[in-house]
Amino acid sequence: MSNSTSPWAQAAPPAVGQTIAPGTPWAPDPTPSRPVYDGRLGELYAIYLRHLALMLVTLGWSRFWGRTNIRRYVWSHLSVLGDRFEYRGRGRELLIGFLFALLLIAVWIGLMWLVWLYVFHEKPAANFGMFDLFSLSVALIGFPLAYVGHYAGLRYRLSRTRWRGIRCGMAGSAWTYGALATGLHFANATTAYLLTPLVSVNLARPRIANTRFGTLPFVFAGRAGDIYGRYIGYYFLNIVAWIAAGVAVFAAVGGTIEGLGISSDDFLKLLSAPSLNTVLLILVLAFAAYIVFGLLILPLRCWWQAYLLRYLVTHSRAGNVLFTTAITTRQMWGFLVLNYLIILLTLGIGWPLVMHRTMKLISAQLWIYGVPNGQEIRQPADRGPGYGEGLLDMFDVTGV
Amino acid sequence: MTTTSTPAARYYNGETAEVQDVAVRVTTQELVIYRPTGAEVVARWPIAEVAVLGDTQHEVVPPVVRRGSDARLIVEDPQLRNTLASLVPALHALTPQPVAVGRRIAVFSSAIIAMVGVFWGVLDYGTEYAAPFLPHSLQERLGETVLDDLLADKEECEGEAGLAAINRLANDLAQEAGYSHPITVHIVEGGPVNAFTLPGGILVFYSDLITQAKDSSQVAGVVAHEIGHVVHYHPTKGLVRAYGMDLLLKLVSGGYSEMMSTVGGGGSLLLALRNGRSAERQADTTGVDLLERRGLRADGVSTFFQQLMEKEPKDAAAAAGIWSSHPPTAERIEATKRPATGRPAFSSAEWQALRNVCK
Repeated sequence: MSNSTSPWAQAAPPAVGQTIAPGTPWAPDPTPSRPVYDGRLGELYAIYLRHLALMLVTLGWSRFWGRTNIRRYVWSHLSVLGDRFEYRGRGRELLIGFLFALLLIAVWIGLMWLVWLYVFHEKPAANFGMFDLFSLSVALIGFPLAYVGHYAGLRYRLSRTRWRGIRCGMAGSAWTYGALATGLHFANATTAYLLTPLVSVNLARPRIANTRFGTLPFVFAGRAGDIYGRYIGYYFLNIVAWIAAGVAVFAAVGGTIEGLGISSDDFLKLLSAPSLNTVLLILVLAFAAYIVFGLLILPLRCWWQAYLLRYLVTHSRAGNVLFTTAITTRQMWGFLVLNYLIILLTLGIGWPLVMHRTMKLISAQLWIYGVPNGQEIRQPADRGPGYGEGLLDMFDVTGV
Repeated sequence: MTTTSTPAARYYNGETAEVQDVAVRVTTQELVIYRPTGAEVVARWPIAEVAVLGDTQHEVVPPVVRRGSDARLIVEDPQLRNTLASLVPALHALTPQPVAVGRRIAVFSSAIIAMVGVFWGVLDYGTEYAAPFLPHSLQERLGETVLDDLLADKEECEGEAGLAAINRLANDLAQEAGYSHPITVHIVEGGPVNAFTLPGGILVFYSDLITQAKDSSQVAGVVAHEIGHVVHYHPTKGLVRAYGMDLLLKLVSGGYSEMMSTVGGGGSLLLALRNGRSAERQADTTGVDLLERRGLRADGVSTFFQQLMEKEPKDAAAAAGIWSSHPPTAERIEATKRPATGRPAFSSAEWQALRNVCK
């Protein structure tokens, strides 16, 4: 790591007043370790299936407790430096969070109803129903709120996570993060996604730098400039790949049509009154096109995502504990694409397998250098939010 | 009652992130946590204040705590856990319990499959009997909401005499079937050649259906068919089923419903289609039957289908009934064929007014 922004360089000099004997040369602790995940797929399935069965009986109301149990299992099977994590959240807290979010939505509906009543109702040009107004307003606030919920959910989970008996936590404002995320994503979308490195780094920073283990804050030293070169490469390769995939698909479709000896007029006629065979043929072609695109586009995406993750991990530290990962494009494929396919093709029943694979990946690919100085890290006074994840639950973006 | 042990536990003091390898001794009063080398006591916890957080089913090592403190004693060694659990009743939850994973998976899987079956059955057959008992005002409100949404950017036809004529026939037929609530017919300008029914006895006709009909008996046939849907509560049942399927999908997919709806949608579509087809048959039969009971010409339904079939391009799949919520047209023509006898459903003045309802 010759990079000047690397925490490997930044972590080196001890701060003035630190309790290191004068004259002691500081060197990064070179002892590497990896987290260990010793959970078993079968056990996780037993817990997950029990959760699903209870969900059916309670029409979904048991999900807060089910989720809590699954987290307890996963957390407690993950250990760092021989000490297991602990999840001490409660189903009740998630329920309260959910009810709170429900109340928020109810208040919002009431507000929109008043707006509709006094602004739009019985006005000559009011072709604008109550329902339209509400869906429009939700579409407008839903996007930022999802980010707010994401951050607040992270805070809740961290505040209920303990390692060596010490609570983790998250500082910073979820609303600021929501505003930042909304602004950055909007700016990115309006500039043909050329700002992606800026967005990735600037959204990773608040999440990493606000994370606390006890009184020890994490530090993030990434800069968008470092990864722009690779991103521009990815950006243009992506365009080339889309063109190549498009050409390949058109050639394949054209070849098939010619091979069947059909003129283009006949072909159009076929399309205007499709028979069962035509429909099947089109489905097969569409699937083939999907495969071609998938093979060209997705690996490229995984290549970029693996690079980004490596960058983010190696530029984070907690005190003098450093992190690194050598996650490959292929592993990223397994994480992003394969996991998605498992969930999709098993109608969600494959979820524990995905969780298991993810935890195994983390334990195999995350390297931790150094040991935290236990005496200096103290229990935080802040106990974290009293309830959690209501907004997250509302937008259905959480598995566990 | 004293026991000693070699270092088999870890102690976190709850104030800093320090970790200490410790041994544990149980006396009648206390849990004594001490360093194995030098026997220096690290902590003394009164027995009455110790507890176990969590359970062995979800956590590998449920932490032993002293109530009111953040300190933790982590006992990985199964032997020591058994000893502690046997000596201190409050630590009973520490006993490592073998979990019969295979058996649990089998039990819960069967339970899930059975419950999905029951849920599906309740949805499929339950709505059949429960829908009529939903308060009419609720069904009406439901229908009106959908109606507002559907008619948002459409022109409604407002010819009073025409609307009165079609509403008169619709209410006559509904009364004949013993349906005790009023029927409201809306006519929307334009196409397609179609009509549909919403919950709460709300009928919507497209004006193209009226203008392209060969005679009044065809329109009467369609009205009768839609009244068939009304008296069997088909729209309400459909909505309840769709909502129920959505819920079921959400539950079994564990919250991945958004992602799953693309794939899982197939299931609810299948259910909707199957119900759709049997509902159409039921509405056809009831419609023709109602017309006959009032002594009206009842051949309109079949001649209307005949006309549709001649006009529509021949789509092999649709004609064979694949991917269609309606039964094959030919089959419906056959089933609803009636002689062209009986009184006309509309007087000629009514029919004229109905033809001009949009003008």
